[in-house]
Amino acid sequence: MSGLRERLERLRAAAQASEAAEAAQTADAEVKAETEAASPSCAEQAGRTASKLHPAFRAIGVEEIENDGGSFLLRRLAYPLPYSHGRYGLEELQRSAGWLAPVAARQNQTRATAPVDVSRLLFLDTETTGLGVGAGNVPFMIGFGYYADQAFIVEQTLIRHPGEERAMLEYLLTHLKDKEHLVTYNGRTFDWPVIVSRYIMNGWRTSGAEPGHLDFLHPSRALWRKTLASCRLATVEEARLGFVRGEDVPGSLAPALYVQFLNDGNPEHLHGVYTHNEKDVLTLAALAVHFAQLLEDRPGTEPLDDEDGEELYCTASWLEKHGQEEHAERLFARLADRPDAGERAWCLALATRYKKLGRMDRAVPLWEAAVACTEYGLLPKTDAFVELAMHHEHRTKDLGLALDYAKRALAMLGRRARMNRANASLSDDREKLQRRIERLEARIGRAAERG
Amino acid sequence: MNPLTERAESVEEWLGLLRSKPELMENVTYWHTQPARPARTVPLPPNIHPKLAEALRSKGISELYTHQAASYQAVAEGRHVVAVTPTASGKTLCYNLPVLQTLLHDDSARALYLFPTKALAQDQVAELQQLADLMEVDIKTHTYDGDTPPTVRTAIRNAGHIVVTNPDMLHSAILPHHTKWVKLFENIRYIIIDELHAYRGVFGSHVANVIRRLQRICKFYGSNPQFLCASATIRNPREHAERLLGASVALIDDNGAPTGEKHMVFYNPPVVNQQLGIRRSSVLESQKLAALLLKSGIQTIVFARSRVRVEILLTYLQELIKGELGKKSIRGYRGGYLPKLRREIEKGLRSGEIRGVVSTNALELGIDIGQLQACVLNGYPGSIASTWQQSGRAGRRQGSSVTFLVASSNPLDQYLIQNPDYFLGRPPEEARIHPDNLLILLDHIKCAAYELPFEEGDSFGGEKLTDLLEFLVEEKVLHHVGNRWYWMEQAFPAHNISLRTAAQENIVIIDMTEGHKVIGEVDRFSAPTLVHEEAIYLHEGVQYQVEKLDYPEKKAYVRQVNVDYFTDASLAVELKVLHVDLETKSGPLERHFGEVTVMAKPTIFKKIRLRTHENIGSGPIHLPEEILHTSGYWFSFSEEESAKRSANDMQMALLGLANVLIHLAPLHLMCDPFDIRVVPQVKATHTKRPTIYFYDRYPGGIGLSQRLYEMHDELLEEAERLIVGCGCLSGCPACVGPIEEVGLLGKTQALSLLRGARAEA
Repeated sequence: MSGLRERLERLRAAAQASEAAEAAQTADAEVKAETEAASPSCAEQAGRTASKLHPAFRAIGVEEIENDGGSFLLRRLAYPLPYSHGRYGLEELQRSAGWLAPVAARQNQTRATAPVDVSRLLFLDTETTGLGVGAGNVPFMIGFGYYADQAFIVEQTLIRHPGEERAMLEYLLTHLKDKEHLVTYNGRTFDWPVIVSRYIMNGWRTSGAEPGHLDFLHPSRALWRKTLASCRLATVEEARLGFVRGEDVPGSLAPALYVQFLNDGNPEHLHGVYTHNEKDVLTLAALAVHFAQLLEDRPGTEPLDDEDGEELYCTASWLEKHGQEEHAERLFARLADRPDAGERAWCLALATRYKKLGRMDRAVPLWEAAVACTEYGLLPKTDAFVELAMHHEHRTKDLGLALDYAKRALAMLGRRARMNRANASLSDDREKLQRRIERLEARIGRAAERG
Repeated sequence: MNPLTERAESVEEWLGLLRSKPELMENVTYWHTQPARPARTVPLPPNIHPKLAEALRSKGISELYTHQAASYQAVAEGRHVVAVTPTASGKTLCYNLPVLQTLLHDDSARALYLFPTKALAQDQVAELQQLADLMEVDIKTHTYDGDTPPTVRTAIRNAGHIVVTNPDMLHSAILPHHTKWVKLFENIRYIIIDELHAYRGVFGSHVANVIRRLQRICKFYGSNPQFLCASATIRNPREHAERLLGASVALIDDNGAPTGEKHMVFYNPPVVNQQLGIRRSSVLESQKLAALLLKSGIQTIVFARSRVRVEILLTYLQELIKGELGKKSIRGYRGGYLPKLRREIEKGLRSGEIRGVVSTNALELGIDIGQLQACVLNGYPGSIASTWQQSGRAGRRQGSSVTFLVASSNPLDQYLIQNPDYFLGRPPEEARIHPDNLLILLDHIKCAAYELPFEEGDSFGGEKLTDLLEFLVEEKVLHHVGNRWYWMEQAFPAHNISLRTAAQENIVIIDMTEGHKVIGEVDRFSAPTLVHEEAIYLHEGVQYQVEKLDYPEKKAYVRQVNVDYFTDASLAVELKVLHVDLETKSGPLERHFGEVTVMAKPTIFKKIRLRTHENIGSGPIHLPEEILHTSGYWFSFSEEESAKRSANDMQMALLGLANVLIHLAPLHLMCDPFDIRVVPQVKATHTKRPTIYFYDRYPGGIGLSQRLYEMHDELLEEAERLIVGCGCLSGCPACVGPIEEVGLLGKTQALSLLRGARAEA
């Protein structure tokens, strides 16, 4: 029976032999492992001699904090207000935060009237060692921002090794205590569950109400899903908040950089991560301003007409869902008045909305516009024809016109089926249309007899 | 016996009828009878909660069988238990009783149930729910598996009293997310592991490590649950449980349940060709016996060894009894039927509506189908344990039952049928695991570190933990700070580690006869031989022809047909050495360890006429080969050594030796015979010499052949001892194999080959 050590070595040997292609790389790693074994990593040294903070940490304003849980590193930055981040001033939220109440209500299933208090918001973003929300994913950096009297404060905690986690969590708790909402980007399903998991791992248990969420990923998706290439925070801030980061370490590299730091103890690997995280927290505040002002319907913040009206339509729908009916109606009307309304993807949805509201004066012109665009368009669609046939049959009682629309709808349907190489699923619609045509013809016939 | 209907009042009466039929009796080689046993019961323990006692009474249980009481007592004393009693002896009450008793007294208590398959989990939930309803208490029992909708998962995590899941789910979903399960882990009192015997070999070794992780998480949350296990009969239940749990366990095996008289009839199909010694097909004989039983109104289960055989037997039986019983009263049962259909069949069997069922070993596990009266085994199931378990499906608490073992023409079956003592006098097989298999252990140390950092002084498994942790630090998987080791990779380790061999991927079978309807599924490895294009796919006795197999999309499109043949595909298996890592020469032997690939490629299929089983045509199969890339160990004999024998003698000698080694290897590796393969080749492609190959049946290898390479000398020494020590005259399944397989001189030839190699080494 061979010793464990020997068998482990063989295991490694076997793995290396089989991966001949990677041989060079593995050898490299081994040389590195040897040199490291000779000198214990700086990170570990830092852990032991707590009072000596690496100068590369001090250079960016990081200091060491001690509390009951041990020690960890903290970087604190104050942005005196007013402070502009892209096109928004962060101070604006102090006045307009209350407008976010409908968003909070929707995300937390609370009463819409519950106020949102700017001083009780915590803007939160974490950098973690891995993906997912499993027990082994550790947030090594937690960045959070909040409003003090005359400044927006950003704090960033860092653990030099996992043993410092407890102290960091202890510290975060003092900031969570008096906060009501966490302002995040996907924090509801990622950052917060990861943090909760860490509290549990360190012996805390949840009690009482959890903080509410103002997670701007969902509203951002609602507005920009169709118009932006992605809804990543960096894309959104550049395209809609007018903030350009310039050189930035992408968040996806943060775990690898942290591992580098763990291996050689050089804080310079983390400088980029600090900056990235700091900007993320500031952008969260700017994003909050954006949505608050949108809900406030403040003069000068009116959304612009985009080329195809998609963003305007999404914005109006989002506003309507958040109780801003009047404001939404104004935007919808702007869309309905556009000369190109008939050819736009939102045209029928908008018409349906007006129909539900009983606003036929708005719905009918939209259908007519759609009909004009589709009759000779590339892709035949029947919906608007059918709607108009129904409208004239039941409301204007212009049976001739109704029959005309119904017949054109049937023609459309035929074109569509031919294009589609006769799709069987359309036959249902065809039957319905044929019945409508028969009924209309009968009614017209009866009317003629009577007349 | 009612002379008009030919229906038998009882199995006893039917057996009388059988004895009066010389044309059948002359094929019976042995008749074994186990006498009936009365029940041994004790009153319900006085401290049982009144609601529970009431619920049991309303189910007709007013006393406990001795084993149930013994289990209850041992659990009350705080011990881990393993109950080993036959099918239908009320085994589930051994663990349900203490669990329910505790939950009735403490609403915050929790229990976790583990079953090897989803189907078994669902049975259990239904039974517990029924008891809870009878007691009119709110005990929430839920399955938590891949099918659980995300919307109810949170509720189960927080409020389920009893969570029923499987080891795979525990490994990849529950343990890595344990912080979401605080309520369960803080309050967990019992962990139930049923079908313990299923956790053997490499799979069992993985599960043992998952249990180590589970114990670690429980300890972290301050709980110390008791393990209540149940197992089918194996040789070493206590030892197996103790290895799996890493703790001492009380064995409960004093079965107090009554059984009726049991008959075990060994049946050898008659010889139809004297010159060639060809016997009548075991399929046709099994069908004859089953039909005879079914026509007499005796509820019967037929076990067949492959899915195709199940369907063919089903087709024949349905036709034979067409006039007397409805088609729906004889059903098939096998892997690949959709869950809903399986539930329907199980229910029909319990209610007695279904009179007969033809099944693969899928019904060997503890799925509740009630107790049947007769069992027909079409061929020896391959192990003593399986045979007893399948035979246990027949046997009611009152009245007699009968099992027929119908031998096929393969050598092992023929040996058994002629030597019934070999079977009857032997204990069932052992279940073996090796949780400290280095590769498996390291896999789970990674998972464990992800779940919770390791601390100085921790232990995990039988090897020195700090060495393993430092190894993982060197490999940059863990980070060592102070007295702790932390997970430091971005990846999620459980995702890359599968507890079972085969990827659990399925190909769905879509019937296009009328619209598109999914009728079944087949695992990826069986697909090339079962649902290749033009194959006749049999499903519940109905024929379908495969029109298109969309391999990348995992769909087989079939259409109902009516033909008089079925198809049988041939698989060409090729073993190739890719790379030699280690080699040693000793005397006439050269041994190697390295990487091998095993390629299985379906080549042609034959069309075989129903009933006559004659070959009426064939066709090619065009499908990519399945490749298993794994590690292997092989040794080959020198040219001088092979020159001493004729090629045929060498073949027999190698085969005999390989048969001995495959008995020995799992013993030393503590694995299951299925985990490792042996292939003897008289002229191997790689060495050009007589060679015996071993390879791990796991992608990438799992360290088994490497251990064999290391213990080569010891292995051969034992092989010699075994052959010399075996009491048989010229070969038996316990040593070189039966003479039908290795010939009359197989035993001496294997021995001389072995001795020659060892003497010169």
